[in-house]
Amino acid sequence: MSRGYPESRTRDLVAQLRRQLGENDPNPPRQPLPEVAFPPVRVFPSPRRRSALAEAAAAHTTALVGIGAVGTRYATDVVLQFQAELAVAHGAVAAELPGDWAESKGYFPLISRVTSHREFLLRPDLGRRLSEASAAKWAAECKKDVDVQPILADGLSAVATQGAGPELMGGFIAECERRGWKVGTPCCAKFARVWLEDEIGQLARAKVAVILLGERPGLGTGDGLSAYLVFNPKLGNTDGNRNMMSNIHARGIPPADAAKRLAVLAQLMLEQGTSGVALDLAPRAAELGEAAKGGYRKPEPRTRLVEV
Amino acid sequence: MKLSATIRGNSYTFRSVKEVLARANPPKSGDDLAGVSARDPVERVAARAVLSQLTLGELRANPVVPYEQDELTRLVEDNLDEGAFNAVKHLSVGQFREWLLEPTTTGQKLRSVAPGLTPEMAAAACKLMSNMDLMVVGAKCEVVVRCNNTLGLPGTLSSRLQPNHPTDDVQGILYSAREGLVYGCGDAVIGVNPATDTPESTAEILRALGDLRARNGIPTQQCVLSHVIVQMKALALDCPMDLMFQSFAGSESANRAFGISVALMDEAYDLMRRKKSSTGPNFMYFETGQGNALSSDAHHGADQVTMEARCYGFARRYKPFLVNTVVGFIGPEYLEDGPQITRAGLEDHFMGKLMGLPMGCDACFTYHAKMSQDELESLKVLLGAAGCTYLMSMPVGDDIMLNYQSSSFHDIPSVRSLVKKSPAPEFDAWLAARGISSGHTPGERLGDVSVLR
Repeated sequence: MSRGYPESRTRDLVAQLRRQLGENDPNPPRQPLPEVAFPPVRVFPSPRRRSALAEAAAAHTTALVGIGAVGTRYATDVVLQFQAELAVAHGAVAAELPGDWAESKGYFPLISRVTSHREFLLRPDLGRRLSEASAAKWAAECKKDVDVQPILADGLSAVATQGAGPELMGGFIAECERRGWKVGTPCCAKFARVWLEDEIGQLARAKVAVILLGERPGLGTGDGLSAYLVFNPKLGNTDGNRNMMSNIHARGIPPADAAKRLAVLAQLMLEQGTSGVALDLAPRAAELGEAAKGGYRKPEPRTRLVEV
Repeated sequence: MKLSATIRGNSYTFRSVKEVLARANPPKSGDDLAGVSARDPVERVAARAVLSQLTLGELRANPVVPYEQDELTRLVEDNLDEGAFNAVKHLSVGQFREWLLEPTTTGQKLRSVAPGLTPEMAAAACKLMSNMDLMVVGAKCEVVVRCNNTLGLPGTLSSRLQPNHPTDDVQGILYSAREGLVYGCGDAVIGVNPATDTPESTAEILRALGDLRARNGIPTQQCVLSHVIVQMKALALDCPMDLMFQSFAGSESANRAFGISVALMDEAYDLMRRKKSSTGPNFMYFETGQGNALSSDAHHGADQVTMEARCYGFARRYKPFLVNTVVGFIGPEYLEDGPQITRAGLEDHFMGKLMGLPMGCDACFTYHAKMSQDELESLKVLLGAAGCTYLMSMPVGDDIMLNYQSSSFHDIPSVRSLVKKSPAPEFDAWLAARGISSGHTPGERLGDVSVLR
């Protein structure tokens, strides 16, 4: 009697199927492909080359409309422009103020309790306090009992600080001196957040502290500065105690104009003995101009970054 | 209640349920900033082991902010559906996770249990789940809402059209809105974050968007996201307000920093019910985001995931049409990088849906966070697969007013065709009639604004 399996028909069928699959390509035969035609040109809407819609929209907005689509995605040219804008923003965030920059510009160098760029991004609390060494040196050497303490700082864009920073700082100090105020020792703080002005101003026993620092970059920009002013700077002040002005750069509020308006804000604080939500801007609204209406961004013309 | 666990002979003991919840959280820079995160990865697992043994009943008895100190805790406790709670109170969090994942736990069952869950329960389940767990359960949840159109039906993915402008130039807003519509965007809402927070500008923008909708017969709703008090004043100015908006945080003190309370929101809801221009039973819109309680130092020592879930406990009182987490907007001190932002987006979607909310997500990053464009695109597809109710949309994902990166007009039809999801049915029919798209398939007139009047 045979101990083998009964003769299997299934095994033969599978073997036959395998042979067939192994011999036959699962795809249909390739078609001959004629030369691919050039697709219609789709480009980032620069002033020289843009659709009628993009042209009309550009008078009202910097939003990228009328850029068309390839399937549901962007044209190559739009992708490159977009990546360039993103790279500029990321570059501005990643930049650090060189260690000797403050002194080379004649500012008293200060540093917060932050010790690395990553820590600066993750620990806003440390960026609001001076390092022990900085605090001691500043307390010992800075001018005291001043009307206004000007502070330049890196904030979220050291690129902006090194760009328009000195012009804004110089312009503001000149405006203060023109008004006969006692101006504090000009200083520059690294790894600084807005609230650092409280400790710096408190140690100088300043009536008003003003910090000028790089603002969080948007797409394609990284050169904007913001200014925050506070009356009676001291640890424990909050945002409600401060007045601010944003969008300070060549295409927004030019540094020279900003310097004048900041001096007017400081003057209001000295006159009224307060700042922030309690400050009444109405008495000098005309001098403040746009600053009185609040600090929102004006649309800026979007510039083409990639030329090939 | 046992608050200790042993791993490889090392014993880990925790002081409170709040501490267990915090230490069980996956790494978040905001929890480090608050000083509540696990000291090392093994302690994190020990906390999860302890959490897996706690029952839902014990979580209800131990809210992270005490009943006496916080009106949101009182709101949740006093309004909890006892029948739904009794059905699951005996389950441990570990068993609850498994029950959620079981195929027999259908969307219908999840909808029935939602009113019996406290935020702490949703947050606890979240901490025991991987990203894909969160997606699997999130995709099962069925939350359908109706305003002028119907959102959240199975197989749909909607989008908010966000045509923001840095100076509220109405023509500029309309250029972006029209562009978005012809990419199939805007079925959740055409919603503008205003640069100027006044009743007059709110009313002016609403009228312009209302005109655009009426002229083209677009089945959606418009909203201007000013402060709720400003919108209440705008309602007196005769403007078409379909949805009323407000940002929420997870504690009474954090909401005080936002200038709101339960009493104020009750008043706003009642006023809106009488004065709204929309038709359906759902007409409120809320935004949240991990870290917003800590940013006003109002987190009560709790982690940011649990505080986020507490926003949803507040939101569900008003049967909202839209809720979304603005997940990466708050900055790297709360969510440091791509993996943390991705995780948070999936967590928030899961927790909101589990608690019965029509949950959308603003998948986004600020330019000082460590996230790439590719990582952000991945998150949008994950959210689409996880059944997210809606995503944002704006020109190339660049918000020219708020300066951050979100999803684009082009992303919405792309994600829809990848995950085979359609717009809301009323909006889908409107798009199909104009050749813009049909279901998840782009049409010949996609991107062509000449189809609009």
